[in-house]
Amino acid sequence: MNEQQHNRWIIHADLDAFFAAVAVLERPELAGLPVLVGGSPTGRGVVSSASYEARAFGVRSAMPMAQALRLCPHAIVTGVSSARIRDLSQRFQGILRDYSPLVEVVSVDEAYLDASGSERLFGGAEHIASEIKRRVRAELGLVVSLGVATNRLVAKIASELDKPDGLRVVLPGQEAATLAPLPVGSVPGIGPKTAARLRHYGLATLGELAAAPESLLALVAGEDAAHLRRLARGEDERPIRGERDARKSIGHERTFARDRRGLAELEAPLFALCQETGMALRRKGLAGQTVCLKLRYNDFTTITRQLALSQPTDAHQQIFAAARALLSGALHERAAPVRLIGVRVSNLAQPALQLGLFDDRLQRTRRLNAALDQLAERSGGPVVTPARYVRPAKNLEVDQ
Amino acid sequence: MRVTCNQDDLHKALGTAGRAVAAKSTMPVLGNYLLEAADAHLTVSATNLEIGISCTIPATVDKPGRVTLQARVLNELVANLSAPTVELRQEQNPLTVLVEAGHSRAHLRGIDPDEFPRPTATLSDEPALRLDPSALRDAIAQVVFAAASDDSRPILAGVQFEARDSIVQMAAADGFRMSLRTLPLDEEVRQPLSIIIPARAMSELQRVLADITEPVELRVTPNASQIVITGPAVAFISRLIDGAFPDLKQVVPRQWNTRTVILREQLLDATRRATIFARSSNDVVKLEICPADSGLDMGRVTISANAADTGDNRDDVDAQVEGGEMQIAFNGRFLHDVLSVIRSTSVALELQGPNSAGVIRPVDSDDFTHVIMPMVIGS
Repeated sequence: MNEQQHNRWIIHADLDAFFAAVAVLERPELAGLPVLVGGSPTGRGVVSSASYEARAFGVRSAMPMAQALRLCPHAIVTGVSSARIRDLSQRFQGILRDYSPLVEVVSVDEAYLDASGSERLFGGAEHIASEIKRRVRAELGLVVSLGVATNRLVAKIASELDKPDGLRVVLPGQEAATLAPLPVGSVPGIGPKTAARLRHYGLATLGELAAAPESLLALVAGEDAAHLRRLARGEDERPIRGERDARKSIGHERTFARDRRGLAELEAPLFALCQETGMALRRKGLAGQTVCLKLRYNDFTTITRQLALSQPTDAHQQIFAAARALLSGALHERAAPVRLIGVRVSNLAQPALQLGLFDDRLQRTRRLNAALDQLAERSGGPVVTPARYVRPAKNLEVDQ
Repeated sequence: MRVTCNQDDLHKALGTAGRAVAAKSTMPVLGNYLLEAADAHLTVSATNLEIGISCTIPATVDKPGRVTLQARVLNELVANLSAPTVELRQEQNPLTVLVEAGHSRAHLRGIDPDEFPRPTATLSDEPALRLDPSALRDAIAQVVFAAASDDSRPILAGVQFEARDSIVQMAAADGFRMSLRTLPLDEEVRQPLSIIIPARAMSELQRVLADITEPVELRVTPNASQIVITGPAVAFISRLIDGAFPDLKQVVPRQWNTRTVILREQLLDATRRATIFARSSNDVVKLEICPADSGLDMGRVTISANAADTGDNRDDVDAQVEGGEMQIAFNGRFLHDVLSVIRSTSVALELQGPNSAGVIRPVDSDDFTHVIMPMVIGS
């Protein structure tokens, strides 16, 4: 391969059925059995992880536990210790860091590694990937699937291709060809709604999407057309963000189609933004201690107000409580119509929650949010919102 | 008033009573000492309205009387007098006092003593609780640090003090941890007692007790609004907190899944080192407890902490471990606090699980129990 042209090598590493595999590590007698990790089958719990033995019966993660048990009645439902998950996850990241300083951790069981340059030291990106696979098995007792490619998008898709225990290398120049036969929905960035819309116009595979006439794509996707085509061709220039330049804050903002005024009109959209922000924090395994509210009035003056919490949080309820207090204070200062509202959480760290002696509110909130996240994952967005903060009809809004 | 006393006695009395001087108050007289001379004694008092302290020293009283003098000035002046005796004499203007020692003479302006709130409550013949000052002091030290340092829940900024049968039980809890200490009494309690004393008052009492060797008597005013502790030459008074303390029985876990007996000093040292690294990550200190592989080996506790920007640290300490392995995280400062006040060589750490309250106690006595809630890492 021509190194002048293709000097980027990205490895995507994804632990196979991580929680279920950890459950087997904790209870070795479960090896080879269908194992489900997740909520109670009698309640409305969902599967958070299923062993491959269980997946053979059609069980998928995020499926309601009751349904999973109908598909696979002899499955063993169990839990795993979060300390063990955390420990294995950190050791997994440690192995990856042995091969590159540029490791971007996506979640407990998934990370990107920029191996560009490292291959001189360790001998080729494919060799690094197989070393990672060997060490994860030997040192952690876990199975990892790896994708090796010239960018993160293709590496991510490649790691899925031979799962479980996969290792797929996509050589430079082969990106579009590798993606071509795959369904459009298999690219991160094309959600279920967009995928359905593309299929409706006869664009079922990434190959078809990549080759679609400009006019058709413009009709189907509007402004997103060029972006979709790049995804379909497997083009992606996003860098791997190492620890040092990891995101310093997480937040969301929204511009209204018509200006809003007063707490009553603003708190519902604020709640939705806090919900999204809380979910994003939890997805990344982060918590923030500073909540910042941004308001742009209809004369385009923009203000920010921030508040430090007593301990870092990833709970949207706490973020909202702080943001709402800031909003109320800001509107007290100036009650003009508002065209944009945003919330941002900074001072990010790994969540560390001090549990209380006399009340378990924090822990109940944690459990509630874990359940809400599973529901949201199933439906592609938050589904449970307190009645008073339910968003008005979506067509009133223009998202930014 | 005209009174002569020993400089050293006066200096000590001013120091002890000075703990109750209000640092800043809207009432200027609270920044003053009340000095009362009568019956061959000089009594120095101060109060900040939460606590009051009076010290009595022997004196030659030529003319009984009362004055108040600025605490900071009098304290510094007396500290710097070199003559063995000091005379305090009211001038013609009754608010001015001449302080004379050797060749040194100073005039101090005071405030009308009638403005000074009486620090000593009117005590009837309430039954008194007799306590050994050093035992009481130790018990306070083991409990008071666990009280809340802010007043967001006033009850938790207090120490629960109960006396019944022949036992005193003290407890404090800031919402995340709780310390419980019992103290045996020499005699049966005549009237059971259950009060909440402000933790700040307990800390001051602890210091005052350091200078006392003979037993102290503890009384509660008939309206249960104040507590008075009297020693041979000292009276300490504090307001009480009104309300109900959380139910302690609910808080102390009744069982454990892993029990670790470990040398206290070693665990404390390891915690100190971990806390250096935990500072920038919410003080999270992780404990990993591993039972022995065989009956001949020791188990192990690994104490670790890491900070994204600083680095990380691990310490392995041998321990006797009963039950299964366990990983749990605590606030390192909380761990440090409790390990610092336990006296025994070894402590027992009793854990149920990573999300449940842990118990730390000395192994050689059952008079102390500390309950500490873990921290949960990750989501």
